[in-house]
Amino acid sequence: MSIIEVNKLTKYYGKARGIVDVSFKVEEGEIFGFIGPNGAGKSTTIRLFLSLIYPTSGDSKIFGQDAIQHGPELRQQIGYLPSEVFYYERMKVLELLKYSASFYDRDCTQRMYELADIMELDLKRRIDDLSYGNKKKVGIVQGLLHQPKLIVLDEPTAGLDPLMQRNFFQLIREENERGATVFFSSHILGEVQRMCNRVAIIKEGSVIRIEDIKTMQKDNYKKIRVMGNGLETSRFEADGVTNMIQENGAVTFFYKGDINVVTKMISAQELADVTIEEPTLEEIFMHYYE
Amino acid sequence: MNIFLREVKGNVRSLLIWGVIVLLFVTVGFAKFSAYEGNPELLAILDEFPPAMMEAFNFKAFNLTTITGFYGVMFSYFALTLSIAAAMWGSDIISKEERDKTVEFSLTLPVRREKMVTAKTLAVMVNCIGLLLITWVAIVYNAATYSPDAAFYEFVALGMVAIFIMQMIFLAVGVLIGCALKEYRRAGSLAVSVLLGTYFISIISSMVESLSFLKYFSPFTYFNPATLLRDSQIDLGYVGLSAAIIAVAMIGAYVTYSKRDLYI
Repeated sequence: MSIIEVNKLTKYYGKARGIVDVSFKVEEGEIFGFIGPNGAGKSTTIRLFLSLIYPTSGDSKIFGQDAIQHGPELRQQIGYLPSEVFYYERMKVLELLKYSASFYDRDCTQRMYELADIMELDLKRRIDDLSYGNKKKVGIVQGLLHQPKLIVLDEPTAGLDPLMQRNFFQLIREENERGATVFFSSHILGEVQRMCNRVAIIKEGSVIRIEDIKTMQKDNYKKIRVMGNGLETSRFEADGVTNMIQENGAVTFFYKGDINVVTKMISAQELADVTIEEPTLEEIFMHYYE
Repeated sequence: MNIFLREVKGNVRSLLIWGVIVLLFVTVGFAKFSAYEGNPELLAILDEFPPAMMEAFNFKAFNLTTITGFYGVMFSYFALTLSIAAAMWGSDIISKEERDKTVEFSLTLPVRREKMVTAKTLAVMVNCIGLLLITWVAIVYNAATYSPDAAFYEFVALGMVAIFIMQMIFLAVGVLIGCALKEYRRAGSLAVSVLLGTYFISIISSMVESLSFLKYFSPFTYFNPATLLRDSQIDLGYVGLSAAIIAVAMIGAYVTYSKRDLYI
């Protein structure tokens, strides 16, 4: 049985496209990445299988049960962290967390305090007074305090400082080792590559590829930019080089393959500067998934 | 129970604000009455009014110079004020979750949308009853100066029951609008518009003979204070009609809210 099973899910908002024919399965114990640029339909997909909105066609199952029909029961075992968290005003953090905990059929008190401790969250403060990042921490504690079997994260790191991001990823890994399945939606390729076992790539409302993260890493493209006098594109012609552009004394290209081949090629040149970086997700979409 | 308690707590501030408004309204009203009391000149002025207008404002049925008559005339305004509060609370309690974007929190908790609607409606009911009691106490307190008889207190009590039924109607209509409308911004104003619409229907139906059938469309005509005073009881037919309206509105609220996309 898959933990999440999304089957030809389609959602139109009036005439505007949400997602079209999205299908995938998330298996037990996975950290499943869901990646795509803003507006691709990531949040729409999540809101559909959380039954906040209803599909135009298709269906989704969670723990093998229909997500709409059994929504409230299923949500006993789902922890959700939305990309932006909004809570009731005029409530203290502790009040809000206790309120949230009161909906679950188990005692969440101990775990709630543990999580607040890990995320360095001040429970006595009023929600309205919290910064964006601190609200996000409340969201993390609130989403995990009932030790859910399925954790759904929508752009979870936005607003968290790097130290907190590290704590957070550590926390998610521990939850995963404990047995929780994680659905991780993000537009940041790096964090998905670090965290996930498999990844689905969504573009303009459709899932265009689902693959193992290891396979993707073999497809590890580098974006290389070299600067120097009299550089010509012809000097970098090699297998695995694509999208070569020359402008203002700089040559930019994408490379996929043995990294030593390209470093030798570069070192043979007289250079003023060189950068080798990961292409942005948008660039990957533009050049490799056309 | 947790949703209910949280909502009741969250509503206290609004109840206090409305409570102060009603207290001022009642106190100012009774201050004016002190000038009308036993004043034959006022009656002479009222006699000059066109009969249709007298009818619409209940001046015909009540003698404004007696405390009972004064309450009879003021009744409509109490009913209107408390109904507006009910309609606004009803629509707001649902639509505020979408306005404040808290819906992505509250409805990803393991709770049915129907249960959410029930708990929230009951929480507003508490507010409505609170405001009704404030009104009642304020009236009785202010009227005591004029040492009214037992029949007056009975009339006031009957009026309060009638207002309670009207509150429940407009609460249910407000909840329905909050549930059905995806455009949360319009929910509150639409609820009040519907209410004012029915209020004008009640005035027109009493002024224009040929349009009197319209009275069934306005809860404000269901419990006419003159009839309440005369019969010392509430028309059970209209109680039934009110119950039917409340039931239809609530069923509509449950169905639309559980079927529609939440605005996020």
